[in-house]
Amino acid sequence: MRTVSTPTEVEEKPETTEKEPSGSSIAFTATLVLLVGLALFGRRLFNGWFTDDGIRTWATMFVGVTVQALPFLVLGVLLSAALTAFVPASFFAKALPKHPALAVPVASASGVVLPGCECASVPVSAALMNRGVTPAAAIAFLLSAPAINPVVLASTAVAFPGQPKVVVARAVTSLAVSMILGWLWLLTGKGGSWLKMPKNRHAHDDSKFDVFRSAMLHDFLHAGGFLVVGAAAAATLNVVVPRAWLDHVAGNLLLSVLILGLLAVLLAICSEADAFVAASLSQFSLTARLAFMVVGPIVDVKLIALQTGTFGPKFAVRFAPATFVVAILTSLLVGWWLL
Amino acid sequence: MKRNVAGLVIVFVGAAMVQLATSGVYLRYVKPGMRWMLLAAGVVLIALAVTDVVVRSRQTHDHGLPRAAWLLLIPVFALLVVDPPALGADAAQRQSPVAAKPAKPVDPQGNAYWGDESHGPKPMTVRDYSVWAVWEKETMQGRSFQLTGFVTPAKNGVWYVTRIGLTCCVADGTAFMVEARGQAAPAKNQWITVTGKWAEPTKRVDGDVAALTVETVKPVAAPANPYE
Repeated sequence: MRTVSTPTEVEEKPETTEKEPSGSSIAFTATLVLLVGLALFGRRLFNGWFTDDGIRTWATMFVGVTVQALPFLVLGVLLSAALTAFVPASFFAKALPKHPALAVPVASASGVVLPGCECASVPVSAALMNRGVTPAAAIAFLLSAPAINPVVLASTAVAFPGQPKVVVARAVTSLAVSMILGWLWLLTGKGGSWLKMPKNRHAHDDSKFDVFRSAMLHDFLHAGGFLVVGAAAAATLNVVVPRAWLDHVAGNLLLSVLILGLLAVLLAICSEADAFVAASLSQFSLTARLAFMVVGPIVDVKLIALQTGTFGPKFAVRFAPATFVVAILTSLLVGWWLL
Repeated sequence: MKRNVAGLVIVFVGAAMVQLATSGVYLRYVKPGMRWMLLAAGVVLIALAVTDVVVRSRQTHDHGLPRAAWLLLIPVFALLVVDPPALGADAAQRQSPVAAKPAKPVDPQGNAYWGDESHGPKPMTVRDYSVWAVWEKETMQGRSFQLTGFVTPAKNGVWYVTRIGLTCCVADGTAFMVEARGQAAPAKNQWITVTGKWAEPTKRVDGDVAALTVETVKPVAAPANPYE
């Protein structure tokens, strides 16, 4: 691995793709020239443009959220492409109960097996729908996977030492929320018209490896673009919203649960780390912090952007508020019961 | 987006991730533990784009690729042109300098830490000091400490020795601030090592802020990992 400065590193890599002579060579050449030009002269060209402290803090937040999320997104599209290409649809038909209402809890519980944060679970659940899993079950999986996997529960236990009830409450609440939303989806019955079903784009004559490659390429480009939108939103809110207003609401239970829920939406912290942030919000009650940890992995600005891209805006505009409301109510209930 | 352009974008994103991981610049944005994830993800992306070019020459049909992919060039642009710095005084100024009450104060460096009285000021992390100076006054009283952080100026000549703490990435960066008394403020964002005695915390409407009566101020280079 070379350890040279940014411009040289980036400038040399594109040569590998230059073998392609046909098709849109103009767009390709223009993009290549633009990128290499930026890599070589960008800093000199824009010298004095981005010097404002606020803009630089924003840029750090934006790049930080993107850099943190991209490896998990790559893991997610890798898994989802593998599901699409190598696991036959009949496997899921056998593994999940026939009746959709029974498939929901099974899918929720199987969220335990995907260790990763929420960015990984969006492409994976799209791949599940693609493989014929009923959308209600895929949604239950989408919601439970980032919240109840072993990595997240272990980090919660570390963040709240000597308080195993917090870990239990988190697992119980997240599981309950994912099942409730799966069943709600079945009850409304018109999910089909809201959901832009991820379509199976691949001709049947392609080899499995080609399907894998195409699926991964497509999913990464698509989700990656929307991730950038989400990261920009999270960075903006991080810079604009003053944290001081938190202290004024800590005393009121209902208000504090709502506010910490909203904070989880705005900050878009990855689910493997949100427990530590929750632990540091010590002026709040445990129930409010539980709401923070339950809402964070299932609805935040970055996820809303990703879901809009993957499942369509009609879906996202209904799903995000419904998830938020159910998560807040369930947190209140479980907090009252367990904490 | 055309497929060969998509390949180019993916190679640039992958190369940027590899470059971040190998150069150590990633420490400005995420925790040290992310290095191998970043490296692996970057290599996977480059491999994906390269295989696509090599294998595609056999194929005839071409699918259009999502236009959203152009957005991936924005973070690449930000890295190449803006070169975002690690969080500093500007981020700290947006937060309150008050230290939250810890669930259970942890001894900074084991039991031996407090026993040893011989060698001058004790080195302590800004994170620990900002909490201990407020919540463990009895232990801290009358002792000397040494802190390393950057300068965050505030109103009326007040300034803070500051470190940012990360739990995951910069999005959750929390500022730990110690009010430095008795010395004029160095330049904003300057990294310094200060020594001085514990001082009574400053009262604010939202809580108490740790303080230190500073005796010496020494400018230092920024550490490789600026976060605590």
